[in-house]
Amino acid sequence: MKKFVRQTAVTAGVVSMLTLAACGDEATETEESDDSGEDTAEETEDDDDEEDDGDDDDEEGTEVDEDEEVDVDDVDEDEVVSLDDFDQVREADESEVLEDGSLTAAIVSDSPFEGTLNWNFYHGTHDAQILSWFDEALLSWGDDFVYNQEGAATYEVSDDNLTYTFEIHEDVNWHDGEPVTAEDWEFAYEVIADPEYTGVRFGEDIMNVEGVMEYHEGEADEISGIEVIDDKTLEITFIEANPSIVTGGIWSYPLAKHIFEDMPVDEIESSSEVREEPIGFGPYVVEDIVPGESIQMSRNEDYWRGTPALEEATLQVVGPNVVANSLESGDVDYVESFPADQVVDTMDAENLEFLGVTDRAYTYIGFKLGEWDAEAGENVMNEDAKMADPALRQAMGKALDDEAVGENFYDGLRWDGTTLIPPSHPEFHNDEIEGHGYDPEEANALLDEAGYEDVTGDGFREDPDGDELVITFASMEGGDTAEPIAQYYMQAWEEVGLNVELLDGRLHEFNAFYDMVEEDDEDIDIYQGAWTVGIDVDPDSLYGRTSPANYSRYVSEENDELIERGLSDEAFDVEYREEVYNEWQEYMVEQTPVYPTVYRADIDAMNERVVNTAIGDGTGVYRYEIGVTEEEPVTN
Amino acid sequence: MEQSQQAETMADPQDMDAGKSPPGWRILLTEVLRDKVALFSLLLVVSIMMIVYLVPLFLSQEEIVRVDLFAIHEPPSSEFWLGTDYGGRDVFGQLIIGTRNSLTVGIGVTAVSGMIGIILGVVAGYFGNTVDNIIMRIVDFFFVLPTLLIVIVFIVIVPQYTVWSFIFIMSMFLWMGIARIIRSKALRERELDYIKASRTLGSSHLKIIFTQLMPNLSSIIIVTMTLNLAANIGIESGLSFLGFGFPEETPSLGTLISYATNPTTLEERWWIWVPASILILVLMLSINNVGQALRRAADAKQRRG
Repeated sequence: MKKFVRQTAVTAGVVSMLTLAACGDEATETEESDDSGEDTAEETEDDDDEEDDGDDDDEEGTEVDEDEEVDVDDVDEDEVVSLDDFDQVREADESEVLEDGSLTAAIVSDSPFEGTLNWNFYHGTHDAQILSWFDEALLSWGDDFVYNQEGAATYEVSDDNLTYTFEIHEDVNWHDGEPVTAEDWEFAYEVIADPEYTGVRFGEDIMNVEGVMEYHEGEADEISGIEVIDDKTLEITFIEANPSIVTGGIWSYPLAKHIFEDMPVDEIESSSEVREEPIGFGPYVVEDIVPGESIQMSRNEDYWRGTPALEEATLQVVGPNVVANSLESGDVDYVESFPADQVVDTMDAENLEFLGVTDRAYTYIGFKLGEWDAEAGENVMNEDAKMADPALRQAMGKALDDEAVGENFYDGLRWDGTTLIPPSHPEFHNDEIEGHGYDPEEANALLDEAGYEDVTGDGFREDPDGDELVITFASMEGGDTAEPIAQYYMQAWEEVGLNVELLDGRLHEFNAFYDMVEEDDEDIDIYQGAWTVGIDVDPDSLYGRTSPANYSRYVSEENDELIERGLSDEAFDVEYREEVYNEWQEYMVEQTPVYPTVYRADIDAMNERVVNTAIGDGTGVYRYEIGVTEEEPVTN
Repeated sequence: MEQSQQAETMADPQDMDAGKSPPGWRILLTEVLRDKVALFSLLLVVSIMMIVYLVPLFLSQEEIVRVDLFAIHEPPSSEFWLGTDYGGRDVFGQLIIGTRNSLTVGIGVTAVSGMIGIILGVVAGYFGNTVDNIIMRIVDFFFVLPTLLIVIVFIVIVPQYTVWSFIFIMSMFLWMGIARIIRSKALRERELDYIKASRTLGSSHLKIIFTQLMPNLSSIIIVTMTLNLAANIGIESGLSFLGFGFPEETPSLGTLISYATNPTTLEERWWIWVPASILILVLMLSINNVGQALRRAADAKQRRG
């Protein structure tokens, strides 16, 4: 039992980090190759979006740090755009917004949405996108990803940073009129910590609450660290204080106790209150669901922030290939995570507006350096791994012209990735680190130096022992660009004398791909993946020794130490934490267990009549404000 | 056409015996020559084949499928006659090699499935009774299978597939139609006096089948195979279109056309998919025209016969 718990926990933890912002990424998966990565493994995909999704509703602050990092600006080709060309917020005067407007939003996907419509149970980014319309987190966060006081609940922290006291607003009510109470919040924790819980949220952040493990193992009837003080006040005590708690370490999605209380925990996920008549306390109320296809919603008059601007909203699944056309013709008004490779082609349409922000994600090449030891619950490096030499890994990074990939395949909406903390986290991303850049000559020099030389004269380098070196590359299919990009990478490596072959000679379907990567398939030497990082920068769940999602299986003591320092007490001092993460970023560039290829932009596209919406975190624009200025979609 | 040539060779030994009456293939040929549309189609198919099989000798497939980051979606120019696709790859080169691949698969599948179908059909029809019963039940069984699905699953499972494994897999599920047609014709033939006479005179089964039965089936074999050829090219292109055909580094007509599923390509980058679509249309129509002419010839012979 214990082992199981631990595993689950770790997995969940991981996931969360990786994870994806629900809202944003989904589109990706479908259409662009790399992206897929992120949405990826379902596990990844979902978990912790909590934070993410929430954003739409919750953020406040203001925006825009993103542009600072965009290297793309120097490029002048007309087809190339940069995030500088995009606003993050689209606002209009309240007077212009129709009072009884309605809009249709697209969920960009090739497949039906799953329909697990509860934050405590959902799995996929599409479900998260839907959820963000009718339910939200109690806490919201600003552009620095730290919880603020703008959400449906406010909080106070004790001096030792261990005890958090939350106050839920008086007028926050469920759609059926019942108030959202502290008990609902406690109930969410209890359900997640229940051994019968079927979702994937049981992670390290949950386990960090005092008494959760005892509750989980059945030794306690209630979670000792969670105390309901009165109807609207809750107190949570954590075991360890760390700076991650306020950047996503609190589970802030209550579960309606008056509805789910009597249900066995393992049946909640499949109940009709989750699938058919989902409940929330967000700005819109679900009226009707056509499973897998569309959802009809109407205004929640009782919404705590104010009256939602739209009378009605419809969400429907639209394929990535037709979404641009649907937008132009006015069939849909609003598309979150518009496919990046179609942006430039679509931008000329006069009836459309685009918003963009730096995505909390990157695409990367991972090098398999060992395997996951399930018994010990940790990653174990293999010194004889084909990719074990850091010089080889660095050279492979230097051989790739990522800037050109971004400009040519994504019209500048992806750009050269340098470190493992993406620029979406401006305080922690160190833009002075240059990464490996594009330098085939140096790549050649590095390889020569490390002893990888072409002994046989066949045009390919052999390994230092003189044995043939064939590197197997796994990559996933998806969208128009996956294939040419994989081909390009292999060509670029060939140019520095490395013989790289696609696993099985083709791209793999995305779930199959992640299964193989996760299971450390022996045939995989390197792989291309992508992930979305959580709002918290702590890299433990992606690169930690005990994280099963550390797919490259890279471990080192220095890495452990840096990660630990980033979560220590001293790390409450942001400057100290920045320093630690700077060091970590540099260290990871030097070691290159994974090589970040491109950072990404997240783009929302909408009809001209759609106003008062924003993309990204901490914009201060909330979902209930989105409205339309005309009765009908503007068409050309 | 090559197809018919092949079938011809098989039927050859017998032709020498039957030299007196005009051989079946000559009647077919005359019919085609007389039908101007069919003749034109035949010439067209032959010249397309010459081009796609000869030109690649001077083109390197590796060069053509090489991704060029700086030449993505180029319109047609003197450097790229038909522009480039989203990987900066020359569409003209892909068109030529793709047509060759699609044709090779079509011809290969027709030959292999034809072979299986003819053997089983002749055996079933000639021996009849229990043999016929057993073989036809097998055919029925294969007919019931959801062929396309199985082919797709095969393709997904087989780790590394080439033109040859592709031909093999498709042939496994496409021989039943031919077997049925041949068998019904053979059943009718075996009741005719010449076979019975031969049998009475003590000829061996093999001898009867190859020297007497097969020549009389040759026209129907040629017609069926020609029409099948068009269909098989279509199946390969269709699978590639759906993404279950060749990987992208092996160009195929279906792959080129599938680029048009992107609306922007469909509307603005005609050079990627229009030539391939036209080529498929032309190939299919031409082969079909020839096939129809052959069918008419075969019917006429029967009537006369």
